[in-house]
Amino acid sequence: MIRLVPRSHFGVWSTVFPLLIALGLTVVVGFVVLLAMSEQPLSDIWTLLTYPWQARTASVQWGFVLQKTSYLAVIAVGLSIGFRANVWNIGAEGQFAFGSIAAFAGYLLCGMPDTVWFLPVMLAFGVAGGVLWALIPAALRVIANTNELLTSLMLVYVAANVLNYVTTGPWKGDPKAGQAESDPIHQSLQIVSIIERTDLHWGVVISGGAIVALALVVLFTIFGYSLRVAQNTPRAQRFAGFSPNMTIWLSFIISGAMAGLAGAIYLSAETGKLIQSENYLNGLGFTAIVIAFLGRLHPFGIVAAAFLISYVNVGATYVQSASGVDDAVADLVQVTALFAVLGTAFLSRYRVVFGAQAILGERTA
Amino acid sequence: MSLLIIQILAASMLLATPLLLAAIGELVVEKSGVINLGVEGMMLIGGLAGFIALYQLQTSICTLELDGVCFASDNSVNQLQYIGALLIAALVGAATAAVFGFLTQHFRANHIAAGLGLTVLGAGLSNSLGGNFFGVDYTAAIVAKVPALFPASWTAVPVLGPLVFGQNLLVPFSFVMLVAVWFFLSHTRAGLVVRAVGENHHSAYALGYPVILVRMLTIMFGGAMAGLAGAFIVIAQIAPKWTEGITVGKGWLALALILFATWRPGRVLLGAYIFGIVLALEPRLKAIFSNMSLELSYFLTALPYIVPVVVLVLISRNPVMIRRNAPASLGQAFEPRS
Repeated sequence: MIRLVPRSHFGVWSTVFPLLIALGLTVVVGFVVLLAMSEQPLSDIWTLLTYPWQARTASVQWGFVLQKTSYLAVIAVGLSIGFRANVWNIGAEGQFAFGSIAAFAGYLLCGMPDTVWFLPVMLAFGVAGGVLWALIPAALRVIANTNELLTSLMLVYVAANVLNYVTTGPWKGDPKAGQAESDPIHQSLQIVSIIERTDLHWGVVISGGAIVALALVVLFTIFGYSLRVAQNTPRAQRFAGFSPNMTIWLSFIISGAMAGLAGAIYLSAETGKLIQSENYLNGLGFTAIVIAFLGRLHPFGIVAAAFLISYVNVGATYVQSASGVDDAVADLVQVTALFAVLGTAFLSRYRVVFGAQAILGERTA
Repeated sequence: MSLLIIQILAASMLLATPLLLAAIGELVVEKSGVINLGVEGMMLIGGLAGFIALYQLQTSICTLELDGVCFASDNSVNQLQYIGALLIAALVGAATAAVFGFLTQHFRANHIAAGLGLTVLGAGLSNSLGGNFFGVDYTAAIVAKVPALFPASWTAVPVLGPLVFGQNLLVPFSFVMLVAVWFFLSHTRAGLVVRAVGENHHSAYALGYPVILVRMLTIMFGGAMAGLAGAFIVIAQIAPKWTEGITVGKGWLALALILFATWRPGRVLLGAYIFGIVLALEPRLKAIFSNMSLELSYFLTALPYIVPVVVLVLISRNPVMIRRNAPASLGQAFEPRS
């Protein structure tokens, strides 16, 4: 007989223990998947896990890992604020797109400046764009009681079409390009790499700063405390004088700002111009949802999860191209990791009791 | 003009059917107190499964062969092969949903987190598997068109031809399922148990009903219906090719339908056809305003996503109506009291 008994003591162990089990499960399933798909599984697993260390272009690989980590983490930390309080903004992809559009609009509005000092203004425009797009579902929720989860998601598709509109219409650049795209922003506004020829650029540092700032707010301020109250005991939130509507507004503003910032950095550092949505948006806003849950909605956990997933992705991409293993491996590892983390979360609230104790109940436990 | 109206109606039936199928499944799931936000993911995986199954099942005769490699082939599909592919899609959808069921029911995971995860990961997984599934690149594969149920001469009959005889097998099936689910939920004992579990799982458990088993079954039913809906989109609407992210948010439209319908089957039908007409109007409006520039046409493309937002806003302004029909235990994790 197996029985679940609610925990009476919560410590570090009750948080870490389920995560260790989840990590173990993920590793085992990843092994099995590679065993089934690969012809030389052992060397492939070794390559997958160590590629960023042993590649001849190690700095390039590490740059790629950190760059991907920064985008995922900055969006996911923003989303986790709302998720903690049961405010479901799943439209980060749209806010990301709108951040890019707004950053570009700001660049045009200010007369296409050609100095690096304009970069902070451009990023601020991006943040404002993300917030603006996120305020639509927030307002509909507060004013008309509309399910914010569905409206924020629908607005992703609208934002993608707005991006298509501006790149084929008013801001259309080179008509001979193989895709609909705008003219590039000025060279001096394109974020440069910290290390030559790598993807490790100053945008990663800016994202890191935003993550740290937000983590401090969540962990050490009254507002952060109110969010945690809202998460654990929704009714106490009201008694403590925190307004649920204010939680909705702030959740959307913060998550929209972070996604908008990521969109503006992406515009400046990766592409340098707006491109039609199919070639510009690559699901970062959706993957960030998974990262937020993988990190158990905690800032440290999210950064760790974003790093692990990016690390595995880089290795998996290489293994796929080198030995012809499906690139489904990386997706399968993500699936397993998320389901393992969600499936073991109950272990932080319950103890598993085996044998006679389970039948006799808590008296003997 | 009347011809145009009939065309729009026929097209909206084609477009409303997957929404209706997925929404009927999710309706039963939510009536049992579970909210599964993974409809879109299950549709994507089910759709790919149906496409792969049909590709493998179809009769293929090689017309141009050089050195044992086939360069051109003549493909055909009969109703039986089509039904086979649909069954596989439904089974794969149910299996995907079972993962969600185990996580939320047995391991007490958060419904919303597990559902969102299912959608995001279903999208990623179907993209990578579709590009290379046991050595075959399904983005390059082509399946034959599914034949109509009735002979071609019947389809030529005015009005009834395109609206009734020219339709795909799953269109009448969706109506049958709607009536069946309505009857099941409101007129059978088993349906009463499902609703009891959804209204108050503690009372249902105290009465001796297997709460977790009932919910597992409804979740798997919802998954099967979502798988069918996905396969319908891939095989009947967008055939002959499969592309990444082929459902473009139809799973979320199905979820919006449930809110619109306030959990009543009749209104699910109404909502599905309203959304279906909007989806059918979009390309025709583009044809009418054919001198409209490409960039403005993107606003018409966004229309099927703007309309649901507006509809949801209008319906949500009356909280009483939503609360009256919403299952009371919706989305709450069930932890048996001891």
